Amino acid sequence: MSHTAVAASKRSGTQGSGVNFIRVLKSEWIKLVTIPSTVIMVSITVIVMIGLAALFAWQTTVLLDLQGDPEMTAQMQGAPDATSITNTIPGSGLIFGQLLIGSLGVVLIASEWGTGMIRSTMVAVPKRIPALLAKQLVFAVVAFVVGAVSAFVSYLIAQPILAPSGLEFGLGDEGVLLHIINTGSVLALMAVIAMAIGTLLRNTAGGVVTTIGLLLILPILVATLLAGIADWVPDAARFLPSSAGEQMVAITIADGALNQWQGALVLGGWALVLLIVSLLATKKRDV
Amino acid sequence: MIEAQGLAKRYGSKTAVDNVSFTVHPGKVTGFLGPNGAGKSTTMRMIVGLDNPSAGSVTVNGRRYAEHHAPLREVGALLDAKAVHTKRSAYNHLRAMAATHGIPNSRVKEVIEMTGLGPVAKKRVGGFSLGMGQRLGIACALLGDPHTVILDEPVNGLDPEGVQWVRHLAKGLAAEGRTVFLSSHLMSEMALTADHLIVIGRGRIIADAPIEQIISDQGKTRTRVRTDNPAELIRALAGDGVTLHQLEPELLEVTGADSHRIARAALDNRVLVYELTPLQASLEEAYMQLTNDSVEYHSHDLPRTAQAASVGQGK
Repeated sequence: MSHTAVAASKRSGTQGSGVNFIRVLKSEWIKLVTIPSTVIMVSITVIVMIGLAALFAWQTTVLLDLQGDPEMTAQMQGAPDATSITNTIPGSGLIFGQLLIGSLGVVLIASEWGTGMIRSTMVAVPKRIPALLAKQLVFAVVAFVVGAVSAFVSYLIAQPILAPSGLEFGLGDEGVLLHIINTGSVLALMAVIAMAIGTLLRNTAGGVVTTIGLLLILPILVATLLAGIADWVPDAARFLPSSAGEQMVAITIADGALNQWQGALVLGGWALVLLIVSLLATKKRDV
Repeated sequence: MIEAQGLAKRYGSKTAVDNVSFTVHPGKVTGFLGPNGAGKSTTMRMIVGLDNPSAGSVTVNGRRYAEHHAPLREVGALLDAKAVHTKRSAYNHLRAMAATHGIPNSRVKEVIEMTGLGPVAKKRVGGFSLGMGQRLGIACALLGDPHTVILDEPVNGLDPEGVQWVRHLAKGLAAEGRTVFLSSHLMSEMALTADHLIVIGRGRIIADAPIEQIISDQGKTRTRVRTDNPAELIRALAGDGVTLHQLEPELLEVTGADSHRIARAALDNRVLVYELTPLQASLEEAYMQLTNDSVEYHSHDLPRTAQAASVGQGK
């Protein structure tokens, strides 16, 4: 039956039938949504981020309500005012969100090497760079949506929790909308960084450890152990991806700190450099 | 048409493929034969651009693989191992591959039917047997209805029915005028499927010829002769490129003289011959002769003493 079936199948027309970026994007989208664990992982990220924000909102009311004067309590905790604490509640799940999205970003590409899928990918798109770019773009958009939607839902959930203490706020308040959008932007840029690391290392375990090391361990090391080595170390620490990300979602900017846009520039710079290095390395190396 | 020119691949100090040149023509099945580690898979990976050659070049239909506008429609490749994400279903894998070239879902369903994957198409590939994995790889290779089909060890893990199916498929694709390039380390499989053979050993091409020619070149015709007077027949035939082996008191194996010449010598010398059997050299023998010096991993019989020692310890 076999070769007669081949014979029967008409040769498809060859015009407009080749690879283009839109088609590669569609392929990468299919690949993303057809691995059940990826979909579960994304859902968990949303749930965790919203849950953390709700918890943080509740904890804030307890803390700031204690002496009946939120403003004074906030200042006693080192914050300039109460809104600088309450208004960042929507994005307070970011610290965990970026670890989950970062791990997933590594897994998505490194598992292709782990399973051998990458050979199919690169045979279908032998120019290689479009395949990686499409995967990056698809996942970055998903990460943005995860971050922004989680932050927006968190904002909605936080209001009734904060209202009894009179701490509720609106989307129109200064910096709130940007905070919600940037929660998504930070996740998108972290996704790019993680996937670039996964592309370079081609190994899930190594990639996840490196990503978490960069986002979580390195800032702690710098703040505690390395800070004493030289004066410039704490200064340079501002340019770590995690610090830049924090500034992107900050409502009030401390003196001398990066503002939201500068933070975006720094984090974007990390993402861009790692992305370019990973693309060039993949173009050059054997698959 | 696949054309390799001075193709080489080195990994550090190890040379996997060493200055290889060959052409695979359309309309016939070309077998790529060699022992394990001879460089077959590396060569095929270079054809589809997964590995960059250290030297030389290889083109498919006149262009490097990566330069084709629609690579999957030019070349369909099944590479050595499963190249599929284990958590994805066969159907979704094919759908994702097809999407890169705008190949419609109807074609995906077609190749699933063709390769007999229907019943398992929605199951996770991780649970597939080796044979099902091979069928999925072949389905993927046929997805773009390509001019050129490259199959690396396609019958690995297939049951007899599957082996026969691949054989028919390869011949059928070649009969339609496509280029079919098929690797194997099994000479018996090649004897049944291929029209032309490229034999590789230790990264070098050892032979590149039609299959009949390889058999006749390598295995000289031998003839088995039974006679009640071997001494006389040996005397009559000896010399002039003829080799004789006396296997049993009345059984000879003659190389270098055909049965007609042996019968004539027997008649002239009044020797009774009661068996005269020409022995066709098998491709397997020809292959063993060809690759004798180029096998990467030789297996050795255990030394007698070692065997005796282990038996002794077992007691």
